[in-house]
Amino acid sequence: MTFDSKTQNSTEGESPYARRKLHPHVDLQIDRSWFDELQLRMSRNGPWDDWTLYQLAMEAEQAKRVESFEQLQCLRTLPSFEPMPHQIGTASKVLHEMGGRAILADEVGLGKTIEAGLVLKEYMVRGLVKRALILVPASLVLQWVRELNQKFGISAVAQKKEHTWGYDVVVASMDTAKRDPHRERVLGTDYDLIIIDEAHKLKNKKTTNYQFATQLRKKYCLLLTATPIQNDLDELYNLITLLKPGQLGGQSDFAANFVVDKRLPKNEDQLQEALSSVMIRNRRGDGGIHFTKRFVKNIPLSLSPEEKALYDAVTGFVKERYDESGGDLTSMLSLVTLQREVCSSRDAVFLTLVNLFKKTTEDSPLRPKIWELVEKIKGITANTKAEKAMELVKEMNEKVIIFTEYRATQEYLLQFFRAHNMMAVPYRGGMNRGKKDWMMDLFRGRAQILIATEAGGEGINLQFCHHMINFDLPWNPMRVEQRIGRVHRLGQTEDVKIYNLCTLGTIEEHIVNLLHEKINLFELVIGELDHILEKLEGGESLEQRLAKVLLESGNDQDHLKRQLNSLGSSISQIRHAVKASGDNPYSAGPDLLVKMDKLGQTVEVEP
Amino acid sequence: MNTKQIHKYVNRYLEATDCSIIEKSPAHFTVKLSPDADRELTNRPYYWSFVDRVGAEPETMTFLFVTDQEKYEALQNEPLPEKKEASDSQTAAADAALARSFGFINSSVNAPRIPRHDVYFGSQKLEQLFGAAKARGSFVYLFQEADKRSATPYSSTPYTAWLGVNVRVEFACDRKREEIHSFGVSLVTGYCADRFHDRLLELKLTPRLPSNIHVTKNGISFAKAQSIVEQALERKLKNYDYTWAGDASARLQEELDRIEAYYKPLLQHATDENKPSIQEQYEQRQAETRWQYEPRVTASVINCGVFHLEGID
Repeated sequence: MTFDSKTQNSTEGESPYARRKLHPHVDLQIDRSWFDELQLRMSRNGPWDDWTLYQLAMEAEQAKRVESFEQLQCLRTLPSFEPMPHQIGTASKVLHEMGGRAILADEVGLGKTIEAGLVLKEYMVRGLVKRALILVPASLVLQWVRELNQKFGISAVAQKKEHTWGYDVVVASMDTAKRDPHRERVLGTDYDLIIIDEAHKLKNKKTTNYQFATQLRKKYCLLLTATPIQNDLDELYNLITLLKPGQLGGQSDFAANFVVDKRLPKNEDQLQEALSSVMIRNRRGDGGIHFTKRFVKNIPLSLSPEEKALYDAVTGFVKERYDESGGDLTSMLSLVTLQREVCSSRDAVFLTLVNLFKKTTEDSPLRPKIWELVEKIKGITANTKAEKAMELVKEMNEKVIIFTEYRATQEYLLQFFRAHNMMAVPYRGGMNRGKKDWMMDLFRGRAQILIATEAGGEGINLQFCHHMINFDLPWNPMRVEQRIGRVHRLGQTEDVKIYNLCTLGTIEEHIVNLLHEKINLFELVIGELDHILEKLEGGESLEQRLAKVLLESGNDQDHLKRQLNSLGSSISQIRHAVKASGDNPYSAGPDLLVKMDKLGQTVEVEP
Repeated sequence: MNTKQIHKYVNRYLEATDCSIIEKSPAHFTVKLSPDADRELTNRPYYWSFVDRVGAEPETMTFLFVTDQEKYEALQNEPLPEKKEASDSQTAAADAALARSFGFINSSVNAPRIPRHDVYFGSQKLEQLFGAAKARGSFVYLFQEADKRSATPYSSTPYTAWLGVNVRVEFACDRKREEIHSFGVSLVTGYCADRFHDRLLELKLTPRLPSNIHVTKNGISFAKAQSIVEQALERKLKNYDYTWAGDASARLQEELDRIEAYYKPLLQHATDENKPSIQEQYEQRQAETRWQYEPRVTASVINCGVFHLEGID
């Protein structure tokens, strides 16, 4: 296998390059293809190009020229954001000291993606990378594509169809890439750079993922993981073997030289040294990395008598259906939504009721019951939460983002604020990219309020705003964390204030209590939650468990409380277990990692 | 390139390709592209292949190029007081309707779409402009414009044909740096001039043959001129410091040794069944490492042309 012929645009047959010896260590290759083209045009008397464009072409080359081996060229091409010093430091270390093969093992939330992007961009600017493959979990594909496009101006493409493999920079999920028919395409390509995100999933040598990764052909390679060691030292060894086989010696040398017990290293200084040439790990405690504080305030509210009446009626309705169904949970889950919606706005309940009504047959006994509820809705004239939200917004008199779970509530709030002459713009998942960007621009500019139904992934970064109101809370803690992550992230310069609106005597009160007091969600470090939820046993999501508890207890408040308490304490147990396994919550082999980070002081957990 | 240089660059490109500039400020251009520029910049090959096949009149796009984002946005945010009066009851009603669904008012929603492109160093659009310039600025055939003073009707000025070549030289291992060289070879005498492009920039050049000149007969062939360029380049490069290449070779050897130390014992202990796959992996790692570290110097031509200049060199 020779890479030369592929990397330097060869044409078939005779090479257009002439080769000469310049120096004992290096040859000069001279491109001659231009000469044939010139001769051809001479013989045909043209066509000839424009003199101005000729000059412009030359100026472009002069502007792009890479002057020195060292200096990071890509920084001047990134006007839209400024990388943090530790990110720039990491990128230049990878480029200049590690020959472009490294494990980036920063703690969660410090911007491994940015570091990898910087390395990729720098290599592209220098013309050392043309074809790059980025393998990430399926859920992160679009996010990577967007980051690379927006932040780095790299035209990365998400792998969708067979033909997308032909693009220069492709983002794909490992699971897709390793399957036929993609597998052949991927393994048959020489990639200038391969980036693998969440690389700890490759720790086990026997998995198909690992074996697939060893077969990839690459020049440079970055492995990204916050947890290079989860259980034992062999995992780290396996990762390094992907990058630089033999860096820690053969498997048996490694065991003999560095391992006392699976989780206990020896000869740490040597290990440290061997590792430092393939792995970089920045930590929160390190100088220059600073998160602002986070303040959380629950705002308890009492429902108005009309709202309370509706809530009780809906609760009764849901309970009745549950009893009728004979305890069949699956069909009931959607009904629980009704109860949550009452806590948000009457518009939200109304919409769900209408849909429910449409689904029933004309003579269904449900219909009159639904009508009763609708009558109750009509009785409601004001929204307690909306009033409170407005009061808060006026008080802070700064940009604020309001999150709600429901479209109908979003519409209602837009109207509500407009009626009070306050400028609010919507944001939701269903909007196309252009409209999303437009709304963001408006919020950055004239609008004081952004009302969003979606916090997920893609590129809503709102560092310029540090107030957030949770009009209602999702039951999935990951989604709450995503919401917070939009605002409280690297680059936020102010302390972040989060307000949870919480109606007393409703299911919402329990949820806020669970998320806030038990999981301590609002005080977790970014990324920690993921870890806790992973360990929560049983296949059901937290959302499903909550719905179940709720349905089963019906009006029995004590039962409900007991159930939620036990769920809460099992979560806090996991949380403590995770914490206790080291002051660094992301690694179960913490001693080694702490020692590896010579810079590392104690981990700052930012509330 | 700073914003000013980029602004000038865009301006020159648009003028050279006959685009019609509708509006401009020091921070932006609104421009209706010429067919040539549209082909290069709008990424719509299907549209153009349709136009070419059917022979239809092409409808080119209008672009907004913003060369200085800050300044442009400052200009946009200045209030336009005279516009307020213009809105009659109907547009007010339409705005209200839009406001209900979008949460703000903008009466220009229905205007034709003019895509905005921020052009800054490193942006995809500028990269595309660079590519467009190169695509249409690779091979030229030009004459120096005759000096007015000597233009007496019956005398003829002698001209020399030159082969001008701009070369990019890359010094690469796992890292890289670049240089740009420009050579001109007189096709009459074979004399080779360095920094030839700079010399051309001081002249006025035209694609048309000026009157009252005669081109001196070429003394050497193009092939000869080409090899003169290559030799000149090689002579220059031979005098460089190649410590970096020595270092890279050492790094390469070190890496190869490490890989060998890892795979040799593996191969020894492998079963016959596993051997081929380990051997293959071993060879792959070696090849990758060479690809990564092997020092190399590559010269490629940016663009070139034949230039007819006054005098005999």
